[in-house]
Amino acid sequence: MTKQFDVIIIGGGATGAGVARDCSLRGIKALLLERGDIATGATGRNHGLLHSGARYAVTDRESAEECIKENMILRRIASHCVEETDGLFISLPEDGLEFQAKFIESCRAAGIRADAIDPKEALLLEPSANPAMIGAVRVPDGAVDPFRLTMANLLDAKAHGAEVLTYHEVLDFIREQERIVGVKVVDRRTGEQKEFRAHVTVNAGGIWGHEIAKKAGVTVKMLPAKGALLIFGHRVNNVVINRCRKPADADILVPGDTICLIGTTSSKVPFEECDNMYVTADEVDLLLREGMKLAPSLEHTRILRAYAGVRPLVASDDDPSGRSVSRGIVVLDHATRDGLEGFITITGGKLMTYRLMGEWTTDLICKKLNISKKCTTAEQKLPGSREEEKKISRRMHTIPVAQRESAINRHGELAEKVNVEDAEHRSLVCECEEVSVGEVKYALNELDVHNLVDLRRRTRVGMGTCQGELCACRAAGLMAQVGKYCTHQAKQDLTNFLNERWKGMAPVAWGDTLRESEFTMWLYDGVCGLKNDKNTK
Amino acid sequence: MMTETSEFNFEQCIKCTVCTVYCPVAAVNPLYPGPKQAGPDGERLRLKRPEFFDESLKWCLNCKRCEVACPSNVRIGDIIQAARIKHSKKKPGLREYILANTDFMGTMASPLAPIVNMAVGLKPVKVVMDKTIGIDHRRMFPKYAFGTFESWLKRNRKKQAKFPRQVSYFHGCYVNYNNPQLGKDFVKIMNALGIGVQLLEKEKCCGVALISNGLIDQAKRQGEVNISSIRRSVVENKIPVLGTSSTCTFTLRDEYPHLLGIENKDVRDGIELATRYIYRLLSSGEVRLRFKKNAPKLRVAYHTACHMEKLGWAYYSTELLRMIPSVELIQLDSQCCGIGGTYGFKKENYATSQAVGEGLFRKIEASGCDVVSTDCETCKWQIEMSTSKEVIHPLSILANALE
Amino acid sequence: MKFDTVIIGGGLAGLTCGIRLAKAGQRCAIVSSGQSALHFSSGSLDLLNALPDGSVVTNPMEGVKLLAEQAPEHPYVKIGAERFAVLATEAAELLSEAGVATMGEALKNHYRLTPMGVLKSTWLTFKGYVTSDKADALPWKSVALFNAEGFLDFYTQFLSDEMRKMGTECKVHTFNLPALENIRQNPTEMRSANIARIFDNEDTLSELAAIISREMGDAEAVLLPAVLGVDCRDGVAKLEKRLARKVAVVATLPPSVPGLQVQTLLRRYFQELGGVYLLGDTATGYKSEGDNVTALYTNNHGDIALKADNYVLATGSYFSQGLVASNGEVVEPLFGVDVAYDKVRSNWYERDMFSAQPYESFGVVTNAELQAIRGGRKVDNLYAVGAGLAGFNAVKQGCGAGVSMLTAMSVADKILSKR
Repeated sequence: MTKQFDVIIIGGGATGAGVARDCSLRGIKALLLERGDIATGATGRNHGLLHSGARYAVTDRESAEECIKENMILRRIASHCVEETDGLFISLPEDGLEFQAKFIESCRAAGIRADAIDPKEALLLEPSANPAMIGAVRVPDGAVDPFRLTMANLLDAKAHGAEVLTYHEVLDFIREQERIVGVKVVDRRTGEQKEFRAHVTVNAGGIWGHEIAKKAGVTVKMLPAKGALLIFGHRVNNVVINRCRKPADADILVPGDTICLIGTTSSKVPFEECDNMYVTADEVDLLLREGMKLAPSLEHTRILRAYAGVRPLVASDDDPSGRSVSRGIVVLDHATRDGLEGFITITGGKLMTYRLMGEWTTDLICKKLNISKKCTTAEQKLPGSREEEKKISRRMHTIPVAQRESAINRHGELAEKVNVEDAEHRSLVCECEEVSVGEVKYALNELDVHNLVDLRRRTRVGMGTCQGELCACRAAGLMAQVGKYCTHQAKQDLTNFLNERWKGMAPVAWGDTLRESEFTMWLYDGVCGLKNDKNTK
Repeated sequence: MMTETSEFNFEQCIKCTVCTVYCPVAAVNPLYPGPKQAGPDGERLRLKRPEFFDESLKWCLNCKRCEVACPSNVRIGDIIQAARIKHSKKKPGLREYILANTDFMGTMASPLAPIVNMAVGLKPVKVVMDKTIGIDHRRMFPKYAFGTFESWLKRNRKKQAKFPRQVSYFHGCYVNYNNPQLGKDFVKIMNALGIGVQLLEKEKCCGVALISNGLIDQAKRQGEVNISSIRRSVVENKIPVLGTSSTCTFTLRDEYPHLLGIENKDVRDGIELATRYIYRLLSSGEVRLRFKKNAPKLRVAYHTACHMEKLGWAYYSTELLRMIPSVELIQLDSQCCGIGGTYGFKKENYATSQAVGEGLFRKIEASGCDVVSTDCETCKWQIEMSTSKEVIHPLSILANALE
Repeated sequence: MKFDTVIIGGGLAGLTCGIRLAKAGQRCAIVSSGQSALHFSSGSLDLLNALPDGSVVTNPMEGVKLLAEQAPEHPYVKIGAERFAVLATEAAELLSEAGVATMGEALKNHYRLTPMGVLKSTWLTFKGYVTSDKADALPWKSVALFNAEGFLDFYTQFLSDEMRKMGTECKVHTFNLPALENIRQNPTEMRSANIARIFDNEDTLSELAAIISREMGDAEAVLLPAVLGVDCRDGVAKLEKRLARKVAVVATLPPSVPGLQVQTLLRRYFQELGGVYLLGDTATGYKSEGDNVTALYTNNHGDIALKADNYVLATGSYFSQGLVASNGEVVEPLFGVDVAYDKVRSNWYERDMFSAQPYESFGVVTNAELQAIRGGRKVDNLYAVGAGLAGFNAVKQGCGAGVSMLTAMSVADKILSKR
C-alpha cells in the first residue's frame, strides 16, 4: 500500500530539515526523503560560520539583514549548535582602511553591531590574529555545527509526527495530469522500491535540486560552484577572523568545536563532479597562503584534512544565460511558474537562513493546503537547546569531565539519554573527541545511523587528530555488535570510512598528517589485512 | 614541520599509544587518565575550552617516561604539568607547603637534627601527620644531618680556592641538610682531579617540589635567584655549575624554561651533572684517577632514576662505576621506583607509589647486589624503605674507591 | 664517547644491526628517538609476500629472484638472491638467540590470522600465535574464542564470522576477572598492554584458566587476544598446560604486546652483548671530513659527541621521522642524504587508501653497498638500512620486517669486513 502524507520533502540538508520541522510544528504530516545521510551536501560542507551578515553588508544588504536576524534567532533556539564567539574583520596593510569605513556604515545600516577597535585590543581578544593588521572591526559572528543543527531539526520534526528516511533516493514522480501526487523511491541500502504520496512535494535538494526538478519536468537552472576548505588540528583562534575587504578567496577562519577551518576557494565545476569532489594541490596551497595572512601560526599548525562543498547558486529566472545569479532565497511555486501543481522548489539562500527558508516554504504549503497556522520555529527551542549546559553538567557530575562536557556540547540536554551507568559504557571509542561506548550506542539506536560515516556526523567519531586510526575499528565492532550489519558489511564499511578519511587527508598529507596516514595504513592494511573489495587496482 | 619547542608540540602526537605502555601510574591507578588523554588529547580539548581540565591530572608523578618513549617527540609530561599549573583550582595546603619547602624545613630541622630524626621516626608522630595533614604514616622520612654542607664548605673555602681550576656546586637541599657526606665525596673527587669546588653566590632549593605541589610563584622566585647566580658563575666567571642530584639538575635545565617560563638558554649548557663532567674530563685523557688496590669486590646494581632517564645521562654514571676495579656493575632495567619526589609521601598516593615500584624492588632483591646506586635522592629513600638494600650515590662509591 | 659503530634508530633494523655487530665484538651505541614501530607488530614478520606487479609469492627464496627485473632499486636486489637466502636463515637464528621464538621459514610462506579474521601470508610468526599452512583454512574444526569483557581493541565477531567461512566452527565467550574491573574504571586505559600486565601474575592466569576450562567445551583450540602477560612470555604455554588443549593468540590493535616484548628482548640482548642503547635521545647533527662522518651530536649529549668508525642510519620512514615530508619535498632530516621521491606532490598518493601508495616507496638512496649518497657522492662510512630505504613498498609487497633485518645484517657484514 502506498503511504499518504501531506507533504514530501526531498533533501535532508538543513533546508529540508527546516521545512520538515516547520511543517510538523504546524500539524502537517511530513515525510523527508534523503538519498544519502543528512547534511551531506552543502549543509555539511561549508565553514560552519554563524554569519553576522557583516560579510554581505556592503554588497548585499538584503542577505545581511536576513543573516543578522537569523543569527539572533539561532542563538536562542539552537544554543547547543551555536558558539557565540564573535568575529573580527581585520584590515591588513595591503587592504588599506578605505573599505573599513564603508563596511562599518553598511553593517550598521543592516542592523549589525560593528565596532571598530584598536588592533592592539583586537590582538588581546584574539592573540592568533595577524599582528600586522592596521584595523579591526568586531561583529557578532559565531560558529554553528551544521550536523547538530540538521539533526536537532529532524528530531523535533519526528517528535511532532514527521517521518524521515535516509538512503532513500527519488527515482521518479507520480503524476496525475498536471499535478505531482507522490514519488517513487529506492531504498539504497536494500534495493527495495517504494511509493509515497502527498499533496505537496518539496524539492529541497540543494545542487541536486537541478536534477530533481528535471525529473518533475521543470527547469531550475543551477550553477555548481565548488568551495574548498582546510581543517586544522586544533583551535588556533577562538574568535572568527575575516578579512575586511570585498569578499574573496580564503578570507574566513572559523573556530568550530575542537578544530578551526579556513575557506573557501570558488570555482565552477560540472554537475558530474558534485557527487565526488577532490581538493587540488593548488587549492590547498592557496588556502594555506591566504590563511596565514589571517593567523600566521597556521604555518606551523597541523592540517587535518581538506574538503569541498558545492554552493547551489540559482540562475535568475529572467536570465536564461545563467550569468546573473540570485544569492537570496528562492522559493519557486511550480504551479504559478510552470503550471505544475503540488510541487515546490526551495533553493538559494544559505545555511544561516535555513529556518527562514523553511518558514517561507511552509507558508506556501499552508496556502496550498488551506492551513492557517502561524510559524513558531523562531520561538520554540530545538531539542538539545532546552536547558542550560551548566545545569545539565551538574546533573551528570559522576562522568569524567572531558567526556561529560563533550557529550553535552554535542547533544545538549539529550546527553542525559546516553547510557554511561557502568564502566564499560564509559569506555572511550574515540579518544580524540571523547566519544564513549554509551554515546555511540545512543547514536546507533536513536539518530538514524546506518554506517560509520553517519556515526561520525552525529558524534564526531573519527573527526579528531587521528582521523579514525584508533576509533574506526572499535566503532565498526560496536555497530556489528548492536546488529546494525553483518561482519562482511562491517568490514566494507570500515574500508569506506577509512577511505573517506583518506580522501580528505591525501590533499594535505605531508608532515604529521602523512605520518598519521602511514601509521593508519600500516595498521589496517598491514596488521589487519583489510582490503577494499571495490578496489579495481 | 613542527619543532620540539613549538607551543603546539602536542599536535605531533599521532595517537600511536606507545606512551600509555610506559606510564607507571596508569598501569596501577585507574583514576589517572593516562599520558595520552591527560597530555596531547586533553590539551586539544583544553584549547577549545579550559573547562575540559580534569583535576585527575594530579595523579601524574611527572616521571617523563612518556616523553622518553614517545616516537614523535611530544613533550607529554610538560604538557600535563603545564596544564596543572595553568588550570588547577586546587590550592596547596599545609601539607604541600611542608613537603615542598625542603629548603625551609632543612633550615629548621638541621640544628635539631637528632631530635627531629627521632621525632619523625616515632609512631605517634607519624600517625598524627597522617591524620592531620595526610602524609602517609608508613613513609620513612629522610634523616637530617647535624650541620649543613654549606657551612662545611665555607670552612674549607681557602683550601678550595687554591686549585687553579674551579667548578661551582649546586648541592641541593638533600646534600645540604640530609647528606653532606655526598657533597664531601664530590669535593674529594674534584680535588683529586685538581679542581676546587665553590658555592654559588646564592643557592635556593631548585623548586621541583614546589612545582609539583602547586607553589608556582615561589618556585619562580627561587628559580630566578638560582639562574642569576648560575649566570654569574657560568657567563661572567666562566665557571661551570655541577650538581649531584639528577632531579635538581634536570629542573634547572629543563623544567625552568618549560614549566616556569624562566629563560636559561645562555646557561643551560653550563649546568650539568658531576658524573658527566668527570666522564668528559677522564675521557679527554688530561687527568687520571687512582683507585685503591685490593679493595673488596662490590656488586652494585644501578637504578636509572626517571629524570636521569629523561636527561639520558645514566651512561656517564655507569661508565664511572665501570671504571672502578672493585665494582661489579649490574644495570637494572630502567623503570620508575614510584616515589616521584614528594608524590609518594602523600597519603592518597601511597598505594600507587608502592605498586609502581614493586617490580623494581623485586628485581633489586633478586639481583644479588650488595648495594644499589642511583643519582636521585628520593629514589634512594624509596628503595631503602622498600627493599633490604642500602642505596649509595655513584660518586660516593667512586670517592670511597679512590686511593 | 667512542664506539666502533653508532646506529641511529632503535627499532628492528637498528637492533638487528647492533646485535650482529656486537656479537662480532664491536662496541656499538644505538640512539633511539622514542620507542619503535615494533610496538604495532602483527605478531609476525614478513619477508616477501608479493611482487610489485601484484603476483603472489609463496616461496620468498624464489620470489626474490624476480625482483631484479621488476624493481631494480629494491633493497633485496642490492643484497642479492644468494646472500638473501643465507641472511634470511640467520635472521631467524638471531631472533632465537635473543629469546624470540618463532616458527616459519624463508622457503615457504605460511599464514597468520589477522585481528580481522583474514589469513595473511607471512614469514616468521612468534610462538603461540595462530598460524595456518593453508591460505583458506585453519588447522581446527572448532575453536572457542575468548575476549576480555569491554576490551574494544579486539573484535570477536570479525574473527568468528571469517573463521566460520573457512569451515571452523567458532564459539565466542567473554571473560571477566576482578583485576579487569580495576582497569575498566579507566575510560581509556583498557588497552592490550594494561590487560596483559595482569597476567604477569600467575594467580590471575589461573583464574582465567578456570573460566576457560569451564566454558571451552570440546573445542579443538582456545583462541585469545594477545594479552597474556608482558614480562611473562609463556602465558600461552602455561594455559595450554593447564587446559590440556591447544591455545593460541591473535594480535590486537595497538599497542601490540608481542611487539613490545620483542622490542624488549632485542634491546636486552643487545645490551647484554655490551651495546649502549640511548633511548629518548634524538640525533641532531654531525661532523664530517671528506666523505666520512666523524662525529654525531644528539639532543641529550650536547657537546659530547658520539664518535665511531661507521654510522648506520636506521631511522625508519615518515612515522619515526627518518623521512620528513613537507608540502614540496621529502628529505632525510639528519644527514640530508639523497632521497628518491616524485617532485609533484599530487603524484605521492593514490585515491584509494588500499592501493599501493607511491609515497611508501620513496626513501634514502644508496649504492649497491647500501652506503648513503649525498649530493650524488657516496658517504664512505654511512650506511642506510630498514624502512627508510627507497625502492620498495613494505605493506603491499609484505617485506617490511625482512628488509629491516636483512639490510641491517648485510650492512653489519660490510662493516665487519672493512677491518
